[in-house]
Amino acid sequence: MLYKINHRTTYRYVSPVSVGSHVACLKPRSYEQNQVVQNSLKIFPEPKTLDERIDYFGNALWFFTIEEPHKELIVESFSEVLRTGDRVPDARASLPWEESTLLLREDHTPEGLDAYQYQFESPRIRIANDFAAYALESFTPGRMMLDALTELTSRIHKDFRFDSRVTTVRTTPEEVFKKRGGVCQDFAHVQIACLRSIKLAARYVSGYLRTYPPAGRPRLIGADASHAWISTYCRGAGWIDMDPTNDIAPTDGHVTLAWGRDYGDVSPLRGLILGGGSHDLQVEVDMEPIDVLPRIAF
Amino acid sequence: MIGDLYQTALRYGTTYEESSTDGVRPRPHWEPLIHSLDQLGTEELRRRWALAERSIRENGITYNMYGDPLGVNRPWKTDVVPLLLLEEEWKFIEAGIIQRAELLSRLLEDLYGDQNLLKNGHFPAALLYGNPSFLRPLVGVPVPKHSHLHMLAVDLARSPDGKWWVLADRTQAPSGSGYALENRTIVSDLLPELFRESNVKRLAPFFRAQREALIAMAPRENPRIVLYTPGPHNETYFEHSFLAKYLQFTLVVGSDMTVRDRRLYLKTVSGLEQVDVILRRVDDGFCDPLELRGDSLLGVPGLVEAIVAGNVTVANALGSGLIESAAIMPFLPGLSRHLLGEELKLPSVATWWCGQDRALDWVLNHLDSVVVKPAFPSRGMEPVFGSELPEAKKAELIERVRAFPHEYVAQEQVTLSTAPVWEDDRLNPRSIVLRTFVLNTPNGWIALPGGLVRVSEADGTVVSMQRGGHSKDAWVLSNDPVDTFSMLRPVNEPLELRRASHIVPSGVADNTFWLGRYVERAENIARILRCLVPKVRHGEVSELGGLMSLHSSLGSSKSKLRKTKLAATTFALFEKELLSMLTDIKRWDSLPSTLAEVGRIGGNVRERLSADLTLLIGQLRTAMDAEPGVPLAEYSGMLTGCLELLSAFSGMERENLIRGSGWLFMSIGRRLERAIYMTRQLRVITRPLSAENWDYLAYLLDVADSSVTYRTRYYTTLQPIAVIDVLMMDETNPRSLAFQIEHLVELYEKLPRHDTGDLKTMVNALNRLRSLDLQAMLYPAQDKLGRRNAALGRLDRLLADFEQLLPSWSNNLSSRYFSHARTLPITMGQ
Repeated sequence: MLYKINHRTTYRYVSPVSVGSHVACLKPRSYEQNQVVQNSLKIFPEPKTLDERIDYFGNALWFFTIEEPHKELIVESFSEVLRTGDRVPDARASLPWEESTLLLREDHTPEGLDAYQYQFESPRIRIANDFAAYALESFTPGRMMLDALTELTSRIHKDFRFDSRVTTVRTTPEEVFKKRGGVCQDFAHVQIACLRSIKLAARYVSGYLRTYPPAGRPRLIGADASHAWISTYCRGAGWIDMDPTNDIAPTDGHVTLAWGRDYGDVSPLRGLILGGGSHDLQVEVDMEPIDVLPRIAF
Repeated sequence: MIGDLYQTALRYGTTYEESSTDGVRPRPHWEPLIHSLDQLGTEELRRRWALAERSIRENGITYNMYGDPLGVNRPWKTDVVPLLLLEEEWKFIEAGIIQRAELLSRLLEDLYGDQNLLKNGHFPAALLYGNPSFLRPLVGVPVPKHSHLHMLAVDLARSPDGKWWVLADRTQAPSGSGYALENRTIVSDLLPELFRESNVKRLAPFFRAQREALIAMAPRENPRIVLYTPGPHNETYFEHSFLAKYLQFTLVVGSDMTVRDRRLYLKTVSGLEQVDVILRRVDDGFCDPLELRGDSLLGVPGLVEAIVAGNVTVANALGSGLIESAAIMPFLPGLSRHLLGEELKLPSVATWWCGQDRALDWVLNHLDSVVVKPAFPSRGMEPVFGSELPEAKKAELIERVRAFPHEYVAQEQVTLSTAPVWEDDRLNPRSIVLRTFVLNTPNGWIALPGGLVRVSEADGTVVSMQRGGHSKDAWVLSNDPVDTFSMLRPVNEPLELRRASHIVPSGVADNTFWLGRYVERAENIARILRCLVPKVRHGEVSELGGLMSLHSSLGSSKSKLRKTKLAATTFALFEKELLSMLTDIKRWDSLPSTLAEVGRIGGNVRERLSADLTLLIGQLRTAMDAEPGVPLAEYSGMLTGCLELLSAFSGMERENLIRGSGWLFMSIGRRLERAIYMTRQLRVITRPLSAENWDYLAYLLDVADSSVTYRTRYYTTLQPIAVIDVLMMDETNPRSLAFQIEHLVELYEKLPRHDTGDLKTMVNALNRLRSLDLQAMLYPAQDKLGRRNAALGRLDRLLADFEQLLPSWSNNLSSRYFSHARTLPITMGQ
């Protein structure tokens, strides 16, 4: 499916901001099932400097600073992404799950090293016995990796309530685990904490999810949202995505933006400002499926 | 011989005692020292020691301890007896720490570069990926030569067999070299004869090399170099300010700097000045809230960006904290062979990283003989001595280590060597650790000869400055005469002549302004109290009104002083209030808390003040210290002493300070404060003053040091209008209001980029004062028909206007020159 995605973030400040330094993680990653056809960024006011850097995890980050006083900041990213469904996991993914934990430590290949780093604690995700215990209910000894992973995803979906009122962007996985509720970011953090606590490598994926209007109604523009899910390294099969918020393995309705150890690595827009007082934030995402034959270049 | 000084037998028969093999006779290279201590004798040592302690206090040499009831600024503790090292032994240590520095430097380069060591399995990836000090945004960022590990500190201990072992490496922002230099100054002053004769290797060349190495790192000619400190609350802030002064760099905190267009700038009162090199004493994770820790309040947003663009060099480079982990120690021998093709010269203390299965098994089976520590120091876990753990706790620890083994290391418990410490008139053996320093320069690695010796508390085996231990100087005894170079420039070196070279960071201007205000405030309070104390003690009822008026001119809002029906009761209350103003450190307006504020602000700008001024501030801080319960009478003398110190401060400020922006801000602060006090004091008269409070006029003249002037003009007749003329209008009287305003105009005009509106406000104020015609005014306030004196009313309104104007003018000045130094960036989106 080909999507036109428009992601617009607006900050309105009570008093003028004299200097603002920002990092935007808004350029979708391009890979086999997630091909970026085009992407552009518009910033208002015009930034004094704008740099693109590839971060340690391979995401494109934009760094920009605005050095003129402003009371409004608008960052708008346009993308066209051709998304095909994830591969049906290879049968080899069904090795016993323990295979994916033990061997990674000895694997010095670039792929192995890259995967290994996601097995450790990260600034927002600590490992703990509680998470391990919860995960081990599904990851019983010798169980097939994919089987256990699918069940863990379903359990999180079932045990945790989707509720945007119980958490904020700063809520820790431990709190979410106690409250048994939260939003997609929290579901993803909890599942990653569970997987890392039993020494599996898991990463946080930020992206977009296609929403469907009620039957007979037109699609509402701007009603879509940014989304988050997880990816786990399975020996023999590579990275397998799972969406615990919706209890599905992502298909062509998910578009990947970036991945990292946790939300902090890939938050779409962050920054530091001088002045500004309090602010008001508005995020609008519009994800328009283009119902034409995909333009695939061979 | 040594027995005379050693009163206690060596505590550990099994430890290595640095000074002696048997506790009776000194080792040969210690003989001259022990001999000369004996010669000096207890009395003389005690006398010299008292002098040294005073100089430590007065020079404000401090070490801040977290959670110490004494709070910040605990006086530095050092010892008269240096640790003595023979040159041969030192050469061995030197070679070992230099090799280690080279090895660690290469390790850092690889881990932040191609990471070949991970790919070929020479370094476990878990120690990189699991380490919170691994700063991913810095990977692949080119770092100028010699800056990755500009300085390394290595903590060494000597085992009972006399061998040296490495206890820890400090790669982040090593502290202690400045304290080592201070110790040298103190101890060489204590034992000047011995020091001269001992051919002690000098420390100064190391610091000159450091200065040159930092200059060589800069991307441009004539670089600006700053020493970046977390601020006055940091444990080693004294050292930061001391080194900044010694190395001639600008001392800055994060909020003094800003990044614009990928360049780093210092915010100064005259605008932005580009910074080329940072000598860093802030932990790297805190240096940039945009790309590193978003919760940091110490950082400079965009610093990483400026580094990536190659516009600024940071030493040690951001990310160097990565290898401060003890967990890397077991890998160093292998890395040394692989990277250097050499065997490791100095062994590390036996260390097991539990991330390796065999090490984990060993540790869990030998918990009683090891210390368990976090593999990554930033985790903040205290070391646990296995042998001291009760069984239940031990089981808990084992479970934790088993669950997350790569998070833990275990180290052998080291039996430290002991060295004699002089205290209670004798030498006691105490455990020691030697912190050594290695510097990366374009001409190779250089070690500081000796270092900082840290000494355990009595009976302690844990050596930590943070736990309140002592320190010592370390002398490397050269076989040949030593190079007696000092930091002064060689006379034949070409030098560029400069004027007004001092750039003043906005944060410094802020502090000097408030230093001026608080010194003046202290003087006003002290003068008023000195006038009140004797009069209240011997109080006559007739004087009470005037005294209460004077007290009200302190502007003290917390005072509960009120007039009661019984004069005696009022006097008793008055005495209580005065005592509270003289002693209560919890009252923000008391004299001691004002002096404490002088000390605190002075400490913030210490590196900008001369040694004499620093000394004075140190004396001022303690000028009013007294035992609790001292009677009021005794404070008169102390107040006079305090005022003498304050006049000495004013004298130095006037006669010794360069008339740069710093001085301008200090003087403006002082004039402003004096104008505020004088306005308040004059308003007591114009409000108006009732006849029973008439004595106030005399007291006020006394407080303003203008009694003599007044008497020569008006003899003994006390008339409000005449007093007002002397204290308000007379521009030749340095205490008058008009004098203050005139100078404020003059000083403000000299400030770079001053505001014309604010200048005009002050000029208008001066004109209003000058156009007053006092002759036309009458006193008393009402004529015989009870009509209010209109001219007096006008005068009162003018003073009321001044009471508004002066603080708001001060605020304008603050927001123009200091506010951007105070604004903290706000994090958003996280």
